[in-house]
Amino acid sequence: MTTPRIGRRRRKSPIDALLSIWGVLGLAFLFFPIVVIVIFSFNTGRTLQAFEGFGIQPYLDALANPAITNSISVSLITAAGVAVVSTVLGTFAGIALARRAGWWTPGLLVLLGLVMVTPEIVSAISLLPWFVTLGVDWGLTGFNIGQVRLIIANSLFSSAVVTFIVRARMTGMNESLEEAAADLYASPFRRFVDITLPLIRPAVISGALLAFTLSLDNTVVSSFVSVAGSTPWPVYIFASLKASLRPEIAAMSTLMLVLTLIVLGVVALVLRRDPGGSGSGAAGLAGTMVGR
Amino acid sequence: MTTIEAPAAEVPIAPPPASRRWLRVPRGIGALPIGLWILLFFILPFGLVVWYSFGYKPDIYTTHDNDVLSFDRYVEAASPAFFAIFGRTLNISVIGTILCLVIAFPMAYWMAVKLAARWRGVVLALVLIPYWTNFLVRTIGWQISLSPDGFVSNVLQSAHIIDTPLKVLYTSGAVQLGVVYNYLPLMILPLYVALERLDPRLLEASRDLGGTAWSTFWRVTVPLTSPGVTAGLLLVFVPLMGDYITPTVLGGAKGSMVGQMVAGQFQSAQNWALGAAMAVLLMFAIFGTSAVVGGLLKLVGRITTAATSLTLSPKEPL
Repeated sequence: MTTPRIGRRRRKSPIDALLSIWGVLGLAFLFFPIVVIVIFSFNTGRTLQAFEGFGIQPYLDALANPAITNSISVSLITAAGVAVVSTVLGTFAGIALARRAGWWTPGLLVLLGLVMVTPEIVSAISLLPWFVTLGVDWGLTGFNIGQVRLIIANSLFSSAVVTFIVRARMTGMNESLEEAAADLYASPFRRFVDITLPLIRPAVISGALLAFTLSLDNTVVSSFVSVAGSTPWPVYIFASLKASLRPEIAAMSTLMLVLTLIVLGVVALVLRRDPGGSGSGAAGLAGTMVGR
Repeated sequence: MTTIEAPAAEVPIAPPPASRRWLRVPRGIGALPIGLWILLFFILPFGLVVWYSFGYKPDIYTTHDNDVLSFDRYVEAASPAFFAIFGRTLNISVIGTILCLVIAFPMAYWMAVKLAARWRGVVLALVLIPYWTNFLVRTIGWQISLSPDGFVSNVLQSAHIIDTPLKVLYTSGAVQLGVVYNYLPLMILPLYVALERLDPRLLEASRDLGGTAWSTFWRVTVPLTSPGVTAGLLLVFVPLMGDYITPTVLGGAKGSMVGQMVAGQFQSAQNWALGAAMAVLLMFAIFGTSAVVGGLLKLVGRITTAATSLTLSPKEPL
């Protein structure tokens, strides 16, 4: 980039310096409790809050604790299921919104917006009686399975996110390739598989991974709908708050943080390597998250 | 660094001829599954909650009954205890949202305007990482830090800044800190997106036309970023009003919020009818407040625009 000759010269004013200090302090604030958790995950004491010694014992304890490893596997299975469900729902909805807008478009957008802004606690207390009604009163026993409940409950918000990501990607693209395929007598199915899907692949992949991480984090809705025996990881932490927190929780949380970072890194990479996509890397992600 | 520019939006293509209208049918129904999914697992469940809110709790073993319908649960929900906690929730939410805006705006401005382009992605990623870290775990990080015998308290005491152990945890002050922390990224992101799209030429034009840094900021930057501000206020305020985790971890009895009351009716008290009425009241309060604030912002925006255009170009019709 060349600086335009006309215009002010770049110089550091006191306001710029203050802004930089403010920004760096803000970032430090955002990272403070995360750093605390990572440090305390090496606490060899009995309770999390009282730091006694430095060691990797909490990590060994966490991995040897069946209740913890069980909850992690419930969380990972749920997250995978949520990723599949929300990617399928969100991809079709995103394509339809971008390509085949109609009388239903404003209504669907309002619904998706409502899903995204309704406080989690309200969704949670609505779903609990609903699952009881479906599973117990109406005898649809599938809805009594913890994993099924978790996947359904966590997929709503994620499907809305995927829809907006795919819609953003489709709106920025020319329809001519799909029309050319249609002119060349490709069936709707082949057109979708060979043309549309490859074109929106980055949006679909990043949407799926975002749905995965969103579901890994969910505490409120999960704690209401989960049934005994299928407790996901955040619900396990939430339940142990009432007793006492042990360093294993910080250790496993640190491992999960590393997993989340890897997934986010992949999302950023997919979005960055995609020339026609929604901006580059983190900026594209941020833009998508706030609905552009 | 080479960034490939996204192709500009295409000129809309003429609608396909009638012979190809069959093309339209299959993909239009793509929105149907998600619509059904939302209807089945979002609209109907909430409808059921509204229905329950008109019922009652017949005995201690039953969570709800609807054979007699009344508004009694709303009367019961609107008790002085509810209003006390509701008032605290509203107070924490409004102050928290304003604090988020005050902290986030300079940060977003620094990121989007002052920071060199190659650093922007990095700093943005640094804002996103805490946002994607488990909400509950981050809050527990604050619980550890704020506890009376925690390391912050010890450091402050040995530095003789405070004489007695830190008395913040399990007060509404701790909840206030926790919610500002937890929702800050949700304010930074929309502000960043709005500020990054701000055309720097407009700022230069304002300077060239004799505007000071101050008037440029208030008359150009702020009005042009107001959609981002509105989005940020909404994204922070709405979930904050219903927050249930932060007050549970940091609040104790002195810092409880409405979300906990609603949850308590469903989990411990097993009074679904009353809990449902409380949830409906909470939804009304959230959307009512958002609508009022949104309306006010629109009004302020209009007045500002009118005043600006009056002072800048008196001949221009409003």
